[in-house]
Amino acid sequence: MFRLSCSVGRGARRVIGPTVGLLLVAAAALGLAACGGGATAQQTAVGNGSSFVPGSYGTTVFGAGKRPVAPDVSGITLTGSKFHLSADRGTVVVMNFWGSWCTPCRQEAPALAALARRFPPSVARFVGVDIRDDPASAEAFMRTFRVGYPSLNDPNDEVALDFSGTVPPAGIPTTLVIDRSGRIAARIVGAASYDGLAALITQVSREGS
Amino acid sequence: MTRPRLDEPKPDELQADDLDVAGEAATTARPASHLGIGGILDWLRWGWRQLTSMRTALILLFLLAAGSVPGSLLPQDGTNPEGVQQYYLSHPLLARVLGDLSLFNVFGAPWYAAIYLLLFVSLVGCVLPRTLHMVGSARQPPPRAPRHLSRLPLAVSYATTVDPETALGGVAALLARKRFRVRTGPGWVAAEKGYLREAGNLLFHLALVGMLVSIGMGGLFGYKANRLLVERTSFSNTVTALDEFHPGRMVSPSDLQPFTVTLNRFRASYVTSGPQAGQPASFNAMISYTSSPGGKQQTFSLDVNHPLVVDGVRVFLLGHGYAPTFRVTDGTGRVVFDGAVPFIPVETSGLTSEGAIKVPDADPQGLGFAGVFLPTAVDVNGQLESAFPAPDDPVVSLVSYAGNLDMNSGPSQSVYSLDTAGLRELPVAPRPLAVGQSIKLPNGLGTLTYTGYQQWISLAITYDPGQTAALYSGVVLLAGLLLSFMVRRRRVFVRAAAGEAGQTTVDIGGLTRSDAAGGFEDEFADLAAEISGLHQGGQDSDPDEQDPPEQEPGGQSPEPPPSNTSGE
Repeated sequence: MFRLSCSVGRGARRVIGPTVGLLLVAAAALGLAACGGGATAQQTAVGNGSSFVPGSYGTTVFGAGKRPVAPDVSGITLTGSKFHLSADRGTVVVMNFWGSWCTPCRQEAPALAALARRFPPSVARFVGVDIRDDPASAEAFMRTFRVGYPSLNDPNDEVALDFSGTVPPAGIPTTLVIDRSGRIAARIVGAASYDGLAALITQVSREGS
Repeated sequence: MTRPRLDEPKPDELQADDLDVAGEAATTARPASHLGIGGILDWLRWGWRQLTSMRTALILLFLLAAGSVPGSLLPQDGTNPEGVQQYYLSHPLLARVLGDLSLFNVFGAPWYAAIYLLLFVSLVGCVLPRTLHMVGSARQPPPRAPRHLSRLPLAVSYATTVDPETALGGVAALLARKRFRVRTGPGWVAAEKGYLREAGNLLFHLALVGMLVSIGMGGLFGYKANRLLVERTSFSNTVTALDEFHPGRMVSPSDLQPFTVTLNRFRASYVTSGPQAGQPASFNAMISYTSSPGGKQQTFSLDVNHPLVVDGVRVFLLGHGYAPTFRVTDGTGRVVFDGAVPFIPVETSGLTSEGAIKVPDADPQGLGFAGVFLPTAVDVNGQLESAFPAPDDPVVSLVSYAGNLDMNSGPSQSVYSLDTAGLRELPVAPRPLAVGQSIKLPNGLGTLTYTGYQQWISLAITYDPGQTAALYSGVVLLAGLLLSFMVRRRRVFVRAAAGEAGQTTVDIGGLTRSDAAGGFEDEFADLAAEISGLHQGGQDSDPDEQDPPEQEPGGQSPEPPPSNTSGE
């Protein structure tokens, strides 16, 4: 009376058995993936403080008709004066997001400083956005690399936030080339090179306005 | 009342007929290699069966896990481009080979995409047909009654005087009343109950597909990020503000929800006595946030496992630590550093933390300091230790260096440790500093002052648009699983046949189709008792409602026959 049919029972169980097994393995795999994430999360605390959006590293040039309008960035520079991006309309603006603690920023700094000296203000103006930095370190950086252009003090990333929805900086450093009508013509993520940036500025500054 | 089904006849014998499809795909033979449309179709069908077999899914799952390994072992283009450059410099030949195999961009590699797309197709292709099959199974009528009910695991037999047809009619009505699905035939009634099991199976499989889809959505459109935030500072949810950023494939920097978070105050309390002394009792971070630039500022009390949800993004409190503040003056007398430096805890009982202060732009020489922060410093045999995680006697102990910090080229450095390769240690007598005390460096290189400390928290920022759907799928999945495990399909067969001496033999057989927890024996016994109760009167040769109406003596008008005797 208490014997239950084995074959039928097993048949019924076989349906769900492998599926459950598969699900468990899937869960384990996801857990594994999550663990991988956890390991990097641990590194956060000890990371290098700079992260890049995958695939964005390098130079992106936007065609004349496809340029997003740059927001009207404004703020106080490290030296305490006011800055409005719209005041520079009519010239090319090179906007460089940097921090004194960031190795590729220090790597590209001589090139940027030299380019700012090479192009007259009527052709291109340079402005830095100093991110996650203390002003004392930032000023020391500017002395070291003889940076002659102003930098906005932006400890809370508010300038970067202004760009959300357009072409936000995808890592530090990021350099934006803004054309004479206030549109973003190019973005360089990672250390900019003297020649590459010079060519971009020249090209954008020669466009009809 | 009964619901007879006129589906195609099924063989009488018992079989594990309608539930087993798992083995089907694996046993399918490879088609013979002949050409023509039919041959190609055969091959396609064979390929599809292979792809959607459980074995293939498991292999793909394993490949997916194995394929992720190089992503965590090798530097990746997305997260660590300098590391990749460095790798190309140090192993030029190997790096080129690895690069060609997309091993520096594993999660964007075509072969990686191939694995997870195949896995997805395999899982969906496995689950969906099975779901359809289960719909069929749930709609199936009970099979015909077997010929010999006494062979069933549960069987009862008795004799009655009620004629077979009437007896079966009563039985069918009784079973239908008990919500059995009933099928009748000549001389038998078959009934089955527990189709909820199939509904559970169905729910489980549909929820599995739902879960796969929602996890996929989360992976494509979601992101994970981390950020360390010192008290009285803010950050905005932009890529440059994030310490770690792991976007889904369809996420671009402009998709990030533009909120801003400020840490006003962090408070941790610890158990002060007993064996648990030093263990954290509670953490609380008072934050204010705006959900969009220029929006209204709101405050929020952030606790462990009580995330801030802003614009669909969850912000979790992950960890905490101390950020001592320093002011460094260089040889020229200028302040070249003035701020908080997050130190990273290296142990939990006293929260001893390590960190580094880097002043690459000090004049005449770059300066670096590395050391520890001790929240409650105590001297244990001449060795400084932290006795308690709360800042009762916060002390820093630093080693001073001067020289080239090597920060102007090469790969990014950790901001939390000092690379001393290009530096020389300065002969400064080691002395732990209390708040307000300074180290005066030799040769007029400068001064470091320990000005105080702040606390920091680390935040995990996660956006997973598939999360809610995944949760509901998970709940439904479990419910379906429970249903299918707890509800048993059980069948009851009744045969009634005319025997000798005008007696009717009634056979009742019962069968449950799963070997889950018992209980059917009792149910069957009750049911058998009830069924035989229907025919009890016949055994005593008493006229009762089961019998056809008899002519009553006295010439009274006959009562109408009871209505429940027909078997349709």
